[in-house]
Amino acid sequence: MPNEKLYTRMQAEISSLATSINDIVSKFKGLHNPLEESSERVPQATQQLDKISRETEAATHQMLDRIEGITQREEEVMKGLQDLKQQIADGRLADADRLIDSLLEKSDTTCNDAFTIMESLQFQDITTQQVNHAASLLEDIETRLHGILAVLDGSEECVDAGSDDTDRRPRVFDPHADLSDKRTVQADIDSLFAQKK
Amino acid sequence: MAELKILAVDDSPTMRRIIINTLKRAGYNDVVEATDGKDAIAKLKVEAITFVITDWNMPEMDGLEFVNTIRANAQFKGLPILMVTTRSVKDDIVEALKAGVNNYIVKPFTPETLKQKIEQILAG
Repeated sequence: MPNEKLYTRMQAEISSLATSINDIVSKFKGLHNPLEESSERVPQATQQLDKISRETEAATHQMLDRIEGITQREEEVMKGLQDLKQQIADGRLADADRLIDSLLEKSDTTCNDAFTIMESLQFQDITTQQVNHAASLLEDIETRLHGILAVLDGSEECVDAGSDDTDRRPRVFDPHADLSDKRTVQADIDSLFAQKK
Repeated sequence: MAELKILAVDDSPTMRRIIINTLKRAGYNDVVEATDGKDAIAKLKVEAITFVITDWNMPEMDGLEFVNTIRANAQFKGLPILMVTTRSVKDDIVEALKAGVNNYIVKPFTPETLKQKIEQILAG
């Protein structure tokens, strides 16, 4: 009977459609974790970038403070040397001697400031690690998004992010690297080493 | 007393330069550089190194692996090692201690701290 044939055929089509819908729902459910994990990594990457900006600004200001001190002191030294020349010309050797001591002290302070600036330049190494951390998070997001796109395109690739891009160089960093004052941390480390002796 | 020959190991050229300048100011002028643990091991084989300052996070071979490798070699068992790194988590410090570092500095460090730690290690 023609109606029975039609009914059987419709049943098969509906069954096939139901299977396809189940497949699609299952794939969309499979997208949930990578999307959730990717969305967590975006604020992490943003926070890391903001931290870099704040910390490099702080380090730059520390250096500028020292540079301003050096510049000021160098003007004082220049004036002092002119005064010294006059004092020697006038035969005021005791005054000249005192002035030389003062100029030596200023030079020493300038040298110390130069080393403090160099100390501040450690920020370059630390922010490089922070940048590598942020880049690593973004690369991870990129990998996951590629996986999601592959699923949406209907390819057989697994959505699970773990597909390595072998062209990428491995990033080396300490995820906790920062420019904060380490005196307390160093004191704790020193205690630990003292205990071990 | 013979002058120290220090091996400064860090993948950051900036850090190596800072360490070298800080060492010079403290009176240590004989410094050899290495870019990572693997390079450091190669340098140890050809230079008469008497003190090592090493970073942790480095490509090829990180600082911890480097320390473990040289401590496993009888030739370098007594070589003083100072780790200078951003890693400040207690577990990391304990791991470094177990690997055999003589002391540990957290970055960013002051020149005074570097000098002090070297002197402490040399004093035994």
